[in-house]
Amino acid sequence: MRVSPQMSQIILAALNTSDQAEQTALQQLTTGRRVNQASDDPAAAAQEVSISSQLNACDQYTRSISSITSELQTADSSLNSAVTALQQAISLGTEGANGTLSQQNRNAIAQQVNDVSQLVLGVANLSYNGVYVFAGTADSQPPYVVDSSGNVQYQGNDGVNYVEIASGQSVPVNQPGSQLFSASGANVFTALSDLANALQDPNSTSQDIGNAVTELRGAYDQLTSARTFYGSTVDQLQSTQDFLNDENVQLSQQQNSTIGVDMNVAVTNLTQAEQARAATVEAAASMNNITLMDYLSNIGQ
Amino acid sequence: MSGLMGTMWMALNALEAQQGGMQTTANNVANLNTPGYSREVPIFQEADPFVQGNLVFGGGVDLEGIQSLRDNLLDMQISAETQQQSSAQSYVAAMNQVQTLFPSDTTGIGQQISAFFQSLNNLSTNPSDLTLRQGVLTAAQNMASAFNDTAEQLISVRQQLDGNVEEQVQQVNQITQQIANINAQLSAVSSSAQQYGSFLDQRSELVQQLSGLIDVSQLNDGASLTLTTKQGTALVVDGQSFSLSTALASDGTQHVYSAQGQDITGQISGGQLGGTLQARDQTIPALQNQLDSLAGGLVTALNTAHQQGTDLYGNTGNNLFLPNTGTGAALNMALAFTDPKMIAASSDGSSGSNGNLANISAVANQAVSNGMTPSDAYGNMVFQVGSAVSDGTSEQDASTAMLQQLQQQQSSVSGVSLDEEASNLLLYQRAYEASAQVISTINQMLQTALNMGAGA
Repeated sequence: MRVSPQMSQIILAALNTSDQAEQTALQQLTTGRRVNQASDDPAAAAQEVSISSQLNACDQYTRSISSITSELQTADSSLNSAVTALQQAISLGTEGANGTLSQQNRNAIAQQVNDVSQLVLGVANLSYNGVYVFAGTADSQPPYVVDSSGNVQYQGNDGVNYVEIASGQSVPVNQPGSQLFSASGANVFTALSDLANALQDPNSTSQDIGNAVTELRGAYDQLTSARTFYGSTVDQLQSTQDFLNDENVQLSQQQNSTIGVDMNVAVTNLTQAEQARAATVEAAASMNNITLMDYLSNIGQ
Repeated sequence: MSGLMGTMWMALNALEAQQGGMQTTANNVANLNTPGYSREVPIFQEADPFVQGNLVFGGGVDLEGIQSLRDNLLDMQISAETQQQSSAQSYVAAMNQVQTLFPSDTTGIGQQISAFFQSLNNLSTNPSDLTLRQGVLTAAQNMASAFNDTAEQLISVRQQLDGNVEEQVQQVNQITQQIANINAQLSAVSSSAQQYGSFLDQRSELVQQLSGLIDVSQLNDGASLTLTTKQGTALVVDGQSFSLSTALASDGTQHVYSAQGQDITGQISGGQLGGTLQARDQTIPALQNQLDSLAGGLVTALNTAHQQGTDLYGNTGNNLFLPNTGTGAALNMALAFTDPKMIAASSDGSSGSNGNLANISAVANQAVSNGMTPSDAYGNMVFQVGSAVSDGTSEQDASTAMLQQLQQQQSSVSGVSLDEEASNLLLYQRAYEASAQVISTINQMLQTALNMGAGA
């Protein structure tokens, strides 16, 4: 069979193939990605869309957790000062129930109890990032106001917000004041005011003052028990954060195994392509330059 | 004729024949790199013998003609493969542009959809915060812009392909006219075999060029050649060519019409035109539909969720996006308002509630387009575009390899080999020298014979 005399096409095609392989390997090495356009692996590219959206969500959940955590911790530490003040009020009340005190002393104690009430009111109207954290969802105005007759009134609501902190997992992020300070039958402000009134009333017996202290204890217990929400939510956020960190690592690994390049393979491919190219060029150089024509003058003599 | 004079004539004939051979070699070498050239060989034939008594003497050599070496079957296979290869090539080129519009990583629609849902989660931590609300509007605007841009780019790629169609049809017309001219000349040329050969070479080269542009079916009847598209639209019949034309059709694209005015746009399957039309009329419109379906589905679902809430003014939520659906939904996707206070985040009417944000966020996991979530629907488009390019590239590679093989085969039949021409050159030279030697010898013999007469 007659062999095609025109080798240049074959050589060009071979060079083109090795050039392409070299380019692909180089691109993979420089980007670290096996899939640089969807056509490199359509299924992997489609998967990356989903993985990358999950990774982004992970980052956002982390940001949300961090912002909720600061708010919850601020609220909790404020509540702590309220709790301390209430403990003080309880011991003041207990002291006041001691029958040996003069009315003057009882009045002084009542004044201190009123100071505690002011302090707790300040805590209950805590504002963080422009919102009143104990107002339920009606958080644009202070939840507790003193009405014309001197009583502290709750004008917040019972609303609770939930924030998604992981896919499909939401946590409540606030505790309305109606659960903390002004729960029905366990109102801190009413109890404090009752105690102060009992202390100030010269007709009050030790028994009356003792009853007011008991009422205050009830309100105190409600507050401390409702306050545990903050600690336990912060704990939950922390453990979710740990889970998200793991998930982030896992997703990154998945992303890498889906679209990332195996460096060893890419380097080998690059070397092979370079060798193939060099071999082709060498072969081409030695092939095309000699024909019988070159010897004609010699033969002719 | 016999005798010394007869022998001399025979040698002279041989000289001419070898010269003809030499000329053929010269022509072959001259056309070493001419595309479409088929090597030629001289056809030597024994001349008629003459009989003298019981003896039959050979009559020397005749140069019968010069034959152009070509394989018509190979030509047709190459033409068919060229149609496929060019079609795949122009399809891949077009879809490669489209592919860049559907990135899978950190840009594009997928990224913006995910960023929008993140901004909602961010707002849920402090639903009355105006900065966070503005963040949601910005993310929503970015998402709409991503849809707008992608839809615009798809339209612009189609327009560009439209321009290619016009250009390619013009090229088809130029080539068919040239082929018709050659057909006309061929029917006029009667005898000269060598001229015939170079006409065929030219025509064959033009048919290959035409195959790169459009699907061609050829009917070869000796010198005449009839070319039609695969579906039978006449392109060249003997000395007459039939021009195709393009005109803007009601769908806003350039359609291709036969010389008789028939719309053949949907019939063209091969060559650059075939690939261009496949991308322009099938793959890209299908993507546009899906993009519109995703945009429309997303807008409808987000609006429905948004309307369940209350904004910072205490009003029930309006549309978040302009309610565009169907064709143009992606191109016209736009926010319905720019006031961040109008985001209906609240589910209980109070400003601090974030309850409705959960409803809006839930759209991320709802089937909004062809039973798929927004992110999956986009991923599916990435997959389709990637597959289109990847399949097209495989087809192109396979075709290219096949074509190279066929061209090598053709070259093994028709290609000029310098080795071969050199050895032929040597043969003709030697034969020429030998024949000249014969003449010179006969000349001496004649001289001897004449001297013999003079001496007697």
